[in-house]
Amino acid sequence: MRQLIARHTLRRSLLQGAITILLLAGMFGACSTFCFADNGPKPDPAGIATGDKTSVQDAAGNALVPATPDPASPDFATQKKAYDEFQAQMAKEPIAAKLADSLGHVRVATNFSWTLLTGYLVLFMQAGFALLTCGLVRKKNAAHLMMLNFAAFVFALLAYYAVGFAFQYGAAAINAAPTNLGGTPTLNAFLLGHGSWGFLGGKGFFLSGPGYDAGSLCLTLFEFVFMETAGYIIVGAICERISFWAFILCELFIGGILYPVFGCWVWGGGWMSQLGSTMHLGHGYVDFAGSTVVHGIGGFCAMALAVILGPRLGKYGPDGKPRAFPAHNIVFVVTGTFILLFGWMGFNPGSTLGATDLRISVIAMNTNLAAVAGSATALLFWYLIFKKPDITMACNGMLAGLVAITAPCAFVSPNSAVLIGVLAGLLVCGGVLFNERILKVDDPCGAVSVHGYCGWLGAVCVGIFADGTYGSGWNGVGAANYLGQAGQGVTGLLHGDLSQFECQLLGATLCALWAFSATYGVFWIVNKVKSMRVSAESELEGLDVPEFGMSGYPEDAMASIIH
Amino acid sequence: MKRIDAVIRPERLEQVKALLSGLEIQGATAAEVRGFGRQRGHTEMYRGTEYSVDFLPKILLTIVAADERVPKIVDAIIQGGKTGKMGDGKIFVTPVDEVIRIRTGERGPTAL
Repeated sequence: MRQLIARHTLRRSLLQGAITILLLAGMFGACSTFCFADNGPKPDPAGIATGDKTSVQDAAGNALVPATPDPASPDFATQKKAYDEFQAQMAKEPIAAKLADSLGHVRVATNFSWTLLTGYLVLFMQAGFALLTCGLVRKKNAAHLMMLNFAAFVFALLAYYAVGFAFQYGAAAINAAPTNLGGTPTLNAFLLGHGSWGFLGGKGFFLSGPGYDAGSLCLTLFEFVFMETAGYIIVGAICERISFWAFILCELFIGGILYPVFGCWVWGGGWMSQLGSTMHLGHGYVDFAGSTVVHGIGGFCAMALAVILGPRLGKYGPDGKPRAFPAHNIVFVVTGTFILLFGWMGFNPGSTLGATDLRISVIAMNTNLAAVAGSATALLFWYLIFKKPDITMACNGMLAGLVAITAPCAFVSPNSAVLIGVLAGLLVCGGVLFNERILKVDDPCGAVSVHGYCGWLGAVCVGIFADGTYGSGWNGVGAANYLGQAGQGVTGLLHGDLSQFECQLLGATLCALWAFSATYGVFWIVNKVKSMRVSAESELEGLDVPEFGMSGYPEDAMASIIH
Repeated sequence: MKRIDAVIRPERLEQVKALLSGLEIQGATAAEVRGFGRQRGHTEMYRGTEYSVDFLPKILLTIVAADERVPKIVDAIIQGGKTGKMGDGKIFVTPVDEVIRIRTGERGPTAL
């Protein structure tokens, strides 16, 4: 009998393995047309052709080399004159032309350094999330939490490498060329949609062909660490009850599909970023560093998964009242939060993709201000209402401020940043109580409130507080004239642009709907096929040993003392 | 021989130990334990949800001594452990049938 079961299990695992390999091969085959047969601009893997005089700009962002005149443009005559004059001057001064080429290369190199280094800071946030979420759960699940955070990084990156990056940035050069990094000209085709109505990028699958390029890979590094952030946000809401196989599926889904699709719409030059020119909605949907693109997606995906999984055993008593499962390590929680704050110094200022954009100092300071304002608000709120300031809520408040300032950090003044932090601090407190007491969505670490609700708030705050000093020409609006001003940047409701507010409100809400409904649809089916929860016995014992064969704190287990 | 089990406040352990060391006792065992008495703990708040802390941390101090030494030891524990507030703990005294020193196999009071 046992042999029969063993044979049956073996056959089933062989079958599963074969299906996986077939699926991967099919995916690779389907993508190979994009990977290897490409007629677009030649990629530059060595980085020796990236950055020349066309990359030279003055402090205001005006290019040294005038754009090639476009015969269809009404300004064709002016453009042609400027272009011809420049060509004549270059012919007279060949040394200057060579120097301009070097200067352009150095400019791109400076921005490479900034982008890569800030990317490494964001990468370090992984450690912060691991400590924060692990500290917030019960001791019996510590190893489980660490493994989830670890596996999130591993599997989401593989999915992003295979298809995610191409879906998100495969058409970046069309509407959202990162000129600070040399423009990534090889990423130039939509898989779905075209022009201003792009829905999915189509170049750079498996980071091959057009994706095997120095500029493009610099962008990949910076963007994959952002995707990872969305990837481990979900851990906070689904931990202590999700089985490991289901978690891997969630990560592949986020890294390969859920995150890249919305990312393409907003950052990859997709349709939402172009709403300014196509629908006259402000400067298009603007999310500077990802309040919605990263945190909103992660938060609302987490919410859908938490709803599907249901609350942890014993979280709600027979009377329906919530019960507290106190954090097991406050030291981890606070240390993790500070690591996240530190990583955020890469997250927000790094999103300029260049140190030649001096707005970075404003962004860094705004980020810190919102963080402390959020934390102070949540802390004092708890102090007043519940008589003792809750340390975990003080940490949640700091993260809420950070999440909310992520979208507006580049467009607002320090005063507005403090205000945004205060709003986020209030929202996160309300959100935690609302989820726990009214919606009864069990979210052990507050991921839905911190990242979902405050992410939504952050994007809306762009539409309220943006003061027009930054972002001129963003997504093609305001370069020449906007709201009666030359060079008017992204402007919110308080500074006179209602359409920007409308755009932000709709866009942020769409983000929530997309993340929640896509996740709910996919994983509702998965959960019907096979329950994503661990068995009740495993959950009561703690997932460490049943799922991974070892406990997070082996000194607690008698076995380690005896043997 | 008697066994003395004293449940005391953790922060009073040093005082109790200091007073006991003047009595030339042969040994003591202390363990970190949790428990409740008549007061039944109290409630705290975690992220807006109340939870009860029923079992409070205490020290369980165990001493085995000859009968005639017991009153002085008990007095020392009371003197060192008393604050006068709820939660000072209790002392239990029970008879001991036999004591054996593992190293030598000695039995009875000499094994203490």
